[in-house]
Amino acid sequence: MLRKTLLYNNFLNKIFQPPDKIVFRWGMLFPVIVLMCISFITLKYTSVNSSFFSSTFTKQIVWFGLGSIIFILAQWVRIQYFQEYAYHFYGILIILIGVTYFMPVIGGSQRWLIFGPLSFQPSEIGKLFLVFVIARVLADQKGNMNEIKLLLLILIMAFIPALLVFKQPDFGTAIVYGFIAIPMLYWSGIRSFYLFSVIAPFVSIISAFNIYIFSIWMGILVFVIYYNQPKITTGVSQFIVNIGCGILSPFIWNNILYFHQKERILTLLNPTRDPHGAGYQVIQSIIAIGSGGIWGKGVGEGTQTQLRYLPVRDTDFIVSVIGEEMGLFGITVILVVFFTMLYWIIVYAGIISNRFSSLTLIGFASILFIHLAVNMGMTVGLLPVTGLPAPFLSYGGSFLLSCILILALSTNIINQHI
Amino acid sequence: MPKYKKVQLVLAGIFAILFFRFYHLQIYQHSKYEAKAGNNSVRKISLHAPRGIIYDRNGIPIVDNRQIYDLAVIPFDVTSQFDYQMVSKRTGVSSSELQEKITKGKKSFHRFRPVPIKRHINFETRSHLEENKLSLPGTIFSEFPARTYPDKAKLTHVLGYLRVVTDFTASKPNQKLNYKLGDVFGFSGIERIYESNLRGRDGTEFRLVDIYGIDHGVYQDNPGQQPVPGKALNLAIDSKLQALIEDLFTEKKGAAICMMPKTGDILAFVSAPDYDLNSFAGPVPLELWEGWNTDPEKPLINRGIQGLYPPGSTFKLIGAALAKEEGKVDKNWTVNCNGVYHLGDRDFHCWNEAGHGTVNMDKAIFQSCNIYFYHLIQKLSFNNWKGMAENFGFGATTGIDLLGEKEGLVPGKKYMNDKYGRFGWATGNLLTFIIGQGDVLVTPLQVVQMMNIIATRGNTKSPHLLLDGPSENITLSLKSETWDFLQQATWNVVNHEDGTGKAAKVMGGDVHGKTGTAQNPHGEVHSWFAGYLVKDDVPILSLAILVEHGGKGSVEAALISHKIFKYAQKNITL
Repeated sequence: MLRKTLLYNNFLNKIFQPPDKIVFRWGMLFPVIVLMCISFITLKYTSVNSSFFSSTFTKQIVWFGLGSIIFILAQWVRIQYFQEYAYHFYGILIILIGVTYFMPVIGGSQRWLIFGPLSFQPSEIGKLFLVFVIARVLADQKGNMNEIKLLLLILIMAFIPALLVFKQPDFGTAIVYGFIAIPMLYWSGIRSFYLFSVIAPFVSIISAFNIYIFSIWMGILVFVIYYNQPKITTGVSQFIVNIGCGILSPFIWNNILYFHQKERILTLLNPTRDPHGAGYQVIQSIIAIGSGGIWGKGVGEGTQTQLRYLPVRDTDFIVSVIGEEMGLFGITVILVVFFTMLYWIIVYAGIISNRFSSLTLIGFASILFIHLAVNMGMTVGLLPVTGLPAPFLSYGGSFLLSCILILALSTNIINQHI
Repeated sequence: MPKYKKVQLVLAGIFAILFFRFYHLQIYQHSKYEAKAGNNSVRKISLHAPRGIIYDRNGIPIVDNRQIYDLAVIPFDVTSQFDYQMVSKRTGVSSSELQEKITKGKKSFHRFRPVPIKRHINFETRSHLEENKLSLPGTIFSEFPARTYPDKAKLTHVLGYLRVVTDFTASKPNQKLNYKLGDVFGFSGIERIYESNLRGRDGTEFRLVDIYGIDHGVYQDNPGQQPVPGKALNLAIDSKLQALIEDLFTEKKGAAICMMPKTGDILAFVSAPDYDLNSFAGPVPLELWEGWNTDPEKPLINRGIQGLYPPGSTFKLIGAALAKEEGKVDKNWTVNCNGVYHLGDRDFHCWNEAGHGTVNMDKAIFQSCNIYFYHLIQKLSFNNWKGMAENFGFGATTGIDLLGEKEGLVPGKKYMNDKYGRFGWATGNLLTFIIGQGDVLVTPLQVVQMMNIIATRGNTKSPHLLLDGPSENITLSLKSETWDFLQQATWNVVNHEDGTGKAAKVMGGDVHGKTGTAQNPHGEVHSWFAGYLVKDDVPILSLAILVEHGGKGSVEAALISHKIFKYAQKNITL
């Protein structure tokens, strides 16, 4: 009994520790307040027809309240615990995502662990675990490992969950998983040329669908390889790999991608191609945004929004609502405050000398950034419709909580070191 | 540059790309997308302008408006509980066809747009479907203007009917009226000729509509335009008289036209047989049209202006007028009628085979003696005879406000030379012409116009259906004695104890007239009566009655005329 209690105390002590101080970093947090206000105003008018308690507006306020509590509680978390147990968490993540394959299909995909009335999406919190494990590996290797081996190791670590998520299928989260590693690798000091070498095959694959773009890309590739002067064998083999990727991509297109994934990519390239499928949403979104003009049509006055031409206006396409009702002004506010938030996280990451903490901040910033960029890019037809919500703007409880958790843990980390 | 600055710079670059994309859409392409958003949600609703109502001369409505309906379905709103059977039963559209239309519609981009199911359903069907709205999700009705004919008088050929604009060629002649597909337009009769008056100007309204087609009220930024109803028309028709004559013509073929000699007003206009304008809603169904078109009785022909008949003895008035005007004969010039007249190697008969004995011109008219006129024409010039016929309006349209009027035919020398060759015809032909046979062809309207000219001593107006409608003065100056003679002779036809038109006589009324019996190649002779009624020294009603294959004019047509005069004496005043 005593032993058990001691073990338990021991466990709690590992996870929690009272913070020395709680300082709110307003450069990071003020943007959140602005974004949340925009979100609440928008949700208020997109949910006019539902009753007060069931409206997305009310629910989101409740989630935000819950998030504030979590923010405070998270200040007691001992971040080092995640560093120590990063590999364990990573393993658990892989297993949990694996388990989702045995769960029922909801809305065409298997993303959730379902226990009776409760459901849980492991890939959501898994983004944080992936950041921790990559930060741990990179922090542990202080130049005592071959750069290329390290790079490949990190990429494999990121690609295993990314592939698993991709097969669920959840294209959006897979992009997040795949993306996180790149800024973190750059931050850890890996040579840019190596990163370029890693990204290059993907560009080759995509550009292979247009012979002219592919030719231009090959030109850039040759120039970059020549400029960095690697060994002749490395340079040539790199060139061959890229050409190979270009040739392989039609095969990948035809045999690996799901129909709806192909649809999304094709629709990205030409939104009018399938006007009543995914393209329909993008067309309506672009119309909504374009018709908003500088100052917008006024809150609650957007015809595209209020007359329901715009689909999923509470979640995936909330930026389109803002674009229509608040115009370029509203969009500019979003871009400015969001940039401010990321700007400060990066500043702190630059100041903090602890490699794990610094890398974790960069990883967190990457998560927030890729969500916003993909979401906004989607609403204006620059990127495919992937179903990634906009942080602090889109309606959705668990996503809001994980975004708040990211900022809470960032605050925690910063307060530990500064 | 420190690493974090580089990262911030890349970040700023990506945010700038996003900003410029938004800038491009929201500023540079703003007007394009504003228009697209408008197209999405702002529906232009056409507000039908009601068509003008048509009244008779006494303000009794003859043509009114009513609504019929088009049934459509919004595919998106159709659920599994949609009762295909019921719609099929009520509209006659097969339920498999319905299902096909709806499933096709559901897949289409325009799945929120109504798909037409059945056009022109009546109020009763609509009400029934409306009552079961719950099992018919997605059904909508749109109103469609149609005509209704509330009066007993049918006036079929005069009123005409409507058709739907099916393609834009149909509306080309009247583009200023701005037809849209699906609009109705007057295809025949009064509906057609007064289209620009009857047709109002459709209004428009802009309404906000959401993606489910649910209305969200009037679009504030554009108030639209109120519809302007079509103008009402008052016809010169007396609907009671019209109904009376239509009744008299049941089971008969022919035409009857009554006019007011001084004004040119057409009081009644009957062409029998006719067709029933009330037998269909909206445009004429094809089967019905085909039926009328192939009917050997030719109900579509307006016999009053399109039927060409030999005028028979009514035409003797022309010859008589010419002889009087030129002073070629006087009262004392007589002819002995023994029933037959030899010219060359041919025998020309009088209708009275026993003969009329000694006949002067007066008697020749009221007893309608052919032999007298066989002699008379030989004293007259063919050219002058043709000229006199033309003076009385024959051989030309009268200018009535209906389309399709025919000119008829008054043969002249040129015509005869062209048709028979210079030596192919002779005086014999003229003998038939003067008694209104042979090549002479007239319309009933021309005959009634002749009566107007006689009744007004050459001061009448061209016939028109619209009250106070477009009309030209018709003046014909003949010698006073000529008019006196024509009026006296026509009075005698009805009122002389041996007059052929005795049957048309009314007690206490001055009826003038002339009977006619027109031989024709199709069978039994046509029965003519043309005349007018004088009340208080004023001619108040003129008429021409033609009963196809009705036998002698002295019987059938005169009897009908009698009933009309009787009505007119009581009811018509100037």
